[in-house]
Amino acid sequence: MLNGPNEMKTMRVISLKTTKSRWNTGLSLSGGAALALSGLMVWSTPAAADGQQLIRERCLDCHTETGDAAAPFSRISQLRKTPEGWEMTLNRMQALRGLKISAEEKRELIKYLADTQGLAPAETRGLRYVLEQDRNHVENLENEAVAGTCAGCHSGARVALQRRSAEEWKKLVHFHMGQFPTIELIAGARDHAWFDRTLNEVAPALSSAYPLSTPEWSQWQAAPKASLEGSWRLVGWLPEKGEFDATLSAQPQGDDRYQLKITGQYADGSALEGNGLAQVYTGYEWRANLTLDGVPMRQVLAADENGETLQGRMFLRDAKELGGEIRAVKAKKGLSRLLSVSPGYLKRGQTQTLTLHGAQLSGEIDLGEGITLVKVLARDADRIEVVAKASESAGIGSRALRVGGAQGADLVVYDKLARVDVTPGQSIARVGGNGGQLAKQKVAFRAVGYAAGKDGTPGTEDDLRLGYVPAQWSLKAFDEVAQADNDLKYAGTIDAETGLFIPGDAGPNPERRMSTNNVGQLAVVATVDDGDGPVSGENHLLVAVQTFMFPVIQ
Amino acid sequence: MKHLKSINKKAKMLDQAADPAAVDEVVAMQTVVGCTGVTDPGWEVDPFGGLGSLCQPMEADLYGCADACWWPAQVPDTMNTHPDWSSSVSKADQDWRKLDGVYPVDEK
Repeated sequence: MLNGPNEMKTMRVISLKTTKSRWNTGLSLSGGAALALSGLMVWSTPAAADGQQLIRERCLDCHTETGDAAAPFSRISQLRKTPEGWEMTLNRMQALRGLKISAEEKRELIKYLADTQGLAPAETRGLRYVLEQDRNHVENLENEAVAGTCAGCHSGARVALQRRSAEEWKKLVHFHMGQFPTIELIAGARDHAWFDRTLNEVAPALSSAYPLSTPEWSQWQAAPKASLEGSWRLVGWLPEKGEFDATLSAQPQGDDRYQLKITGQYADGSALEGNGLAQVYTGYEWRANLTLDGVPMRQVLAADENGETLQGRMFLRDAKELGGEIRAVKAKKGLSRLLSVSPGYLKRGQTQTLTLHGAQLSGEIDLGEGITLVKVLARDADRIEVVAKASESAGIGSRALRVGGAQGADLVVYDKLARVDVTPGQSIARVGGNGGQLAKQKVAFRAVGYAAGKDGTPGTEDDLRLGYVPAQWSLKAFDEVAQADNDLKYAGTIDAETGLFIPGDAGPNPERRMSTNNVGQLAVVATVDDGDGPVSGENHLLVAVQTFMFPVIQ
Repeated sequence: MKHLKSINKKAKMLDQAADPAAVDEVVAMQTVVGCTGVTDPGWEVDPFGGLGSLCQPMEADLYGCADACWWPAQVPDTMNTHPDWSSSVSKADQDWRKLDGVYPVDEK
């Protein structure tokens, strides 16, 4: 696997021919400066009128006023972006174009632009993984212009989360040509007219798929926006900590900002506590910085249109790859809902403790067909702990739980664990540390259990998903090359109990052939014994070299 | 390639590179978000979805990537966007520990 620099350059040239049918470009907008979505601890008092005034004061050295009230500023008014997208724009303006702007003004401007030129909830659907900083999401973009061109260098979602006028999509191509002068070479332009093709085919395709004006945005602009003030019931999962439930209080501070206080507990009974601040953009984009038991965390959530649910990801501010999904419902009178049941599976014939999480829970507990409520161990409006027994004849499959009129959590009855999947299935870690500036990029794995389903064969479409199951973790070489290069020894280690993978040290390693880095290709193996013998599943883990670029959106 | 026969490991890998099936595999691998799919080679993976054709150790040719603006989403391009990124580190293979990332300012 080891090749010197000259050999690598040979490979570059040769492999250009293997990829000529793909449209490759580069885009890196990660300029040096900035803050905003990550630095919400100081507030100013933004107002819509101030946003336009800020643009006049800070941006008109280069941009101009058009005289058109509907699109008052040159170029700026021809774009719509997420809060993170606007932050990247301002970062670039600061780093490369000489923009001088204070931290408070920048926050105001991002808020103004995201509110007035943002994306509707429907326009971010399926693309939120980049906002949520999920490092292991496998992109599967249908749009060929994005997948075949933009995603060659960075996430396709960075582009698919923008809306531009036709002219602005063309200008984005020109920007890439100017900013990254070798882009045509990198994209294999020796044997095709990359620039012409990108400008005249890709840009119009983007304009057609992601136009400035859309019915979704018009409708969202006109829709009333709910306040997210109040008490929320929240469930989630964090690496090394596990599942938790909590109450999150959001006290309004004006201008869609909320003071947060969170108290709760992990599944093992240990307490969880923290506080912080949230800023809501575009009427639904919740961004919070909070400190949880002394650890700085972030939340990137989306509220539903009625302001009654929040969903997204919470992660460590200083290790964004480490986080997990969180879901919340507003705790308000008359809104009784279930959020989850833990564990979400019960084996036929077995008796087990279940914890139901929700908001405003009252009334009769109905665990569904074939399941007997043996005992209520504890109960309040937020959580109910019960002992449940599944009969030997309980129907295999999922049933909706009910508490009074509340629904929202399913319990799966199964016969036998037959399959284990490792998630994320495709994963990437990056070497780091070892005295260098860059931290290791870790991966937190979880195992998902399945029963075989009606056909009795695991690995088929009718497999019954049980949910996350505790597992024992190990590693092995992914293939023969990894075996020959002894990747298992160098590329990293995994915690057998928590599934946290820690990659190897950065830097050339003289122990390896040609001092190669501690990179490698591994398989992460999860083994679960449910009483019928061990069942294992595995995935693919690439341990790569560092990335030096840390843009707001990958 | 039908008149040429590969006689060593590298040549065999090149044969594989020309195989469309091998390239298809790569496309799937490289869609993990944030990895570059510029497969000549990629920054994280090579045209086979592996590591065999990457420059190793990475530090040995890092500036050959940075000053040519080769993977600007992974390596700061010193040609145009971040000209001073590596200015205090003349030899990446020896002083790689001094090389920092490019962050939004409040995150570092």
